[in-house]
Amino acid sequence: MASATKDEKAPAATTDKQQPDQPTTEKKPAAALEEDDEFEDFPADDWAEEETEAAAGSEGTKHLWEESWDDDDTSDDFSTQLREELKKVEASKKR
Amino acid sequence: MDAVFEHFAKGQVESNGYELSKSLSPSLPNEQLRAIWKSCNTHSVKGVVKRHVHASLDRMNVFAAKEDPKYVQGWIDVYTAYWKAVGDLHAARDPASDSKGSQLLWTKVYESWRELLNTILRGYNSLGFEAWTIPCLYVVLKHLREFALKADFERNNSSSVDTAAQSTFQDDFNPESDQNRVLEDCARQLNRAFNACLTDRSELENSRKIGIYYVINLLFKTYFKLNSASLSKNVLKALQAGRGDMLPLEAFPKSQQVTFKYYEGLLCFLEENYVQAEEHLTQAWNLCHKDALRNKELILTYLVPCHLLTTHTLPSRKLLEPYPRLQKLFLPLAKHIKKGELHAFDLDLLENEDEFVRRRIYLTLERGRDIALRNLLRKVFIVGGFEEPKAEGDKPVRRTRIPIAEFAAAISLGSQETIDNDEVECFLANMIYKGLMKGYIARERSMVVLSKSGAFPGTGV
Repeated sequence: MASATKDEKAPAATTDKQQPDQPTTEKKPAAALEEDDEFEDFPADDWAEEETEAAAGSEGTKHLWEESWDDDDTSDDFSTQLREELKKVEASKKR
Repeated sequence: MDAVFEHFAKGQVESNGYELSKSLSPSLPNEQLRAIWKSCNTHSVKGVVKRHVHASLDRMNVFAAKEDPKYVQGWIDVYTAYWKAVGDLHAARDPASDSKGSQLLWTKVYESWRELLNTILRGYNSLGFEAWTIPCLYVVLKHLREFALKADFERNNSSSVDTAAQSTFQDDFNPESDQNRVLEDCARQLNRAFNACLTDRSELENSRKIGIYYVINLLFKTYFKLNSASLSKNVLKALQAGRGDMLPLEAFPKSQQVTFKYYEGLLCFLEENYVQAEEHLTQAWNLCHKDALRNKELILTYLVPCHLLTTHTLPSRKLLEPYPRLQKLFLPLAKHIKKGELHAFDLDLLENEDEFVRRRIYLTLERGRDIALRNLLRKVFIVGGFEEPKAEGDKPVRRTRIPIAEFAAAISLGSQETIDNDEVECFLANMIYKGLMKGYIARERSMVVLSKSGAFPGTGV
C-alpha cells in the first residue's frame, strides 16, 4: 500500500513542477488513447530472431497453456457432495 | 532549415530512406519548429527551398534523376508544403499563440499536413520518386493520423461554434460520425496511399509495394478507431488479389509483420473464425519483441479466448505473470472452468462484464461455459469408478452407464440451482452434439451410456 501511494505522489509532484507553458491539449488525447486496444508502435522497426517472444520463451513454452480440466480436484470431497445432492434430489421427488 | 536539408542531402546521397525521412519529421522541439518557420516567409519560401534542394542534389556524383526537372520540382514542392505545415504545427503547439481558443488549430495542422501528403503522393505517382524513399511516406502518414486524432479531440472539446455550423448543412446529422470527422478523412487519405503502393507495377526491388504493410497497419488502426473494422476486409481482399506479385510478408520488418498479424487475427476473431484467429495471433505472439509488454498483453487478450474454444486449453499462471490486468480477467475464469463450477463461472463473467464487452470477448468467453460443464460431467464419470472386472486380470473398465440423476445432481451442485431432468437431458444432448462427450441417452432407462473408448474426447478418459 505504501508503495502505491508513493507512486501516485511522484507523478503529481513532477506535473506541478512542469512549466505552465506545456500545452495541455497534447496530453489529454494520449490519456484517452490508452483506453482502447490499439496496437502500439514498436520502438524498433525490426529485431533479431533472438529477441522474439518465441526465442525468449522457448524453454517455458510448453507450460504456458494448461489443460482445461483438473484431476487433482476429483476427490472424495466431490463424490460425497454429489451423493448428498443425489439424496436431496431423490427425497424431493418422493415427496 | 539547414538541419532539414542535412538529412535530405545525406539521405539522397546514400539512397537511405530512413535518413531522408528524418527531414520530414514533425517531432522536433518547438524552438526548432520555430526556427524552420522563421527561416523564410510565404514569398521567399519557394526560392529558399529551391536553393537547398539544388545544393543538396548537387552533392551527388552520378545521378540521372537530379537532372530531371520534374523530380527536382517534386522535392521542392514537398519541402515547401513541409515548411507551411511546420508553421501551423508551431502555432498549434505554442500556448502563447494569439489565435488560440478562437480557431481549431489542429484542424489547420491536419490540413496543411495533408497537403504535404499530396505532394509526396504526386511524387510517387508521376514524378519518379523511387521506392527507397518510402519511409518519407511512413513519416507523413503516421503523423497525419496523429494530427487527425488531435483535430477531432480539439473540436469535440471546444465551444461548438463550428460543429453547429456544420450540422446545418447536413440533413442526416449524425453526432457520432461527426465526432470523427477528421479521422474519417484521414482514412480516405490512407486509402489513397494504399492504392499508390498497391498499383505500382515496377519491378519488385524498386516497387512501392514495399510500403504496403506499413500503410495497411495504419489503415487497420484507423478503421478500428472509427468502429468500422469490417472495412479492413476490403483492404485484405485487395491485398489478396495483388499478393501474387509481392514479396511475402516474412520479407518485411518484424514490427510490420506482428502488427499486421495482430489485426488479421483480430478480424478473424470478430468473425468468430477462431481457428484462423488463433493461427494469426500465435504468429504475432511468436514474432513479437519480447519486451513489448503492452502489445503482448493485447495479443493475449484475444489469444486466450481463442485457445479456450479451439484447443480447450487455459493460460497458466506463469504465462499471465507479467500482466496483472489479464490475471484479473482470466485467472478466476480459468480456475472455475477447471473445477466445473458453473455458478462461480457465471459470477466471474458478471464481475468483469463491462471490460469483456468492451474488449469484444464476452460472447467468446461465455462459450467457455461448455468446457466448464464438460469438466463437471467428467468429474461425475471419474468418481463413478470402475466396473467389477469380468475375469481376473482384465483391465479395469470405467463405469459407462450413468444415471441421468447423477448428472442432474452434479449440475445442480455446480450451478447452485435445481434443474429438472428434462433440462439436464437437453444439456447432455448438447454436449454430445458438440463432441465434448461421447455416448447416447437411453431415455426409457434414464441413463446415459458413455463410450468405453474416450467418453470425454481429448481429456484422457
